[in-house]
Amino acid sequence: MSGDARLVRALVACYPAGWRRRYGDEYAQLLRDLRIHRRPALIVDSLRGAVRAHGGVLMRNAAPMTVAVWAAGLFTVAGLGFAKLAEDFAGAGRTAYAMMVVTAGVALLALVAAAAPSGLALLRGRDRGALKYVAVPLAAVALWFGVLAVAVAISGKAGFLLLAVAGIGVVAATAWAAGTVLRRVPAERPPRLLPAALTTEATGMALATVAVLIWGLQVRSPGSQGFVATPFLPSWLGIVVALAAATVLAAVAGHRQLRATS
Amino acid sequence: MADELGRWAEPGLLVLASLADGAKHGYAITTDVAAEVGVTLGPGTLYAALARLEERGLIEGLPAEGRRRPYRLTAAGAAELSAQATRMNKLAALSLGRLRPGTA
Repeated sequence: MSGDARLVRALVACYPAGWRRRYGDEYAQLLRDLRIHRRPALIVDSLRGAVRAHGGVLMRNAAPMTVAVWAAGLFTVAGLGFAKLAEDFAGAGRTAYAMMVVTAGVALLALVAAAAPSGLALLRGRDRGALKYVAVPLAAVALWFGVLAVAVAISGKAGFLLLAVAGIGVVAATAWAAGTVLRRVPAERPPRLLPAALTTEATGMALATVAVLIWGLQVRSPGSQGFVATPFLPSWLGIVVALAAATVLAAVAGHRQLRATS
Repeated sequence: MADELGRWAEPGLLVLASLADGAKHGYAITTDVAAEVGVTLGPGTLYAALARLEERGLIEGLPAEGRRRPYRLTAAGAAELSAQATRMNKLAALSLGRLRPGTA
């Protein structure tokens, strides 16, 4: 297989399965017609299209629990970013920090409660084939430790970036595996508390977002460590935006579950 | 990558305009849009637009010719394109009319 054919196959493979079934052949032909291997800008455009297609599938068709799991994944990434940022400001904004920790805990516990029936069904062996997905987060974490060794050797910004990307990869792989298990092993009787659990998840995330917003403003006020002169502002804003996006996703999941239940 | 014309180069509108003179497959649409409007529609952008337009019933896929599938405007697509073009025409006339005295 030529490099061009491999690239075309890889680019088409980036799209969701349903999309590939409908458009895969003609899209592959278009990529060949465009001589995509010679045009990096078009490769980037194709990848952006794949991301949009996945986003569309997630927002339109995904089950509430799948959306809730991806919301938790995004929330976890943002939360880890917040923990890293807050390391440098020990003691500042204590109340808001504690509020963030508590509300984040409530949100994630609500998701665990919502997913518990599927977890129990998996442990009882309803779908033994789905058990292999439990290994995904373990393998991803093991891989992350391998990347950690490389990142330490590289050090500097490049090392940190590599580690951060690998960390996001671990969370994404875990969310994907959890979503797959929840789809394959749904609860036998959807628990009556499911809408409440997903609403609690969204509420907890919303409060955590507000807490991080307040924390940032409190950290800003002491003066000497004002965030305008430091990289604090973009990091803090990025974290708030990511937390807000996770909250919106969780709210979509809760709303969809409420609609399905009523 | 509908870049040079900003929001006026909305990919969906470009695709509808390209299909207005007959059915075309993906590559023919990109070359037509590039030649007539000077906008490069990337493959991801093009197929996002095609999928959206098809979902809204503004275009429809015809039987594939080999690996290429032509698309054509539906009646609803033609009506939508006509409405958008009329709106843009009015705006262009208004803008040019108001700019002329000031720039003269």
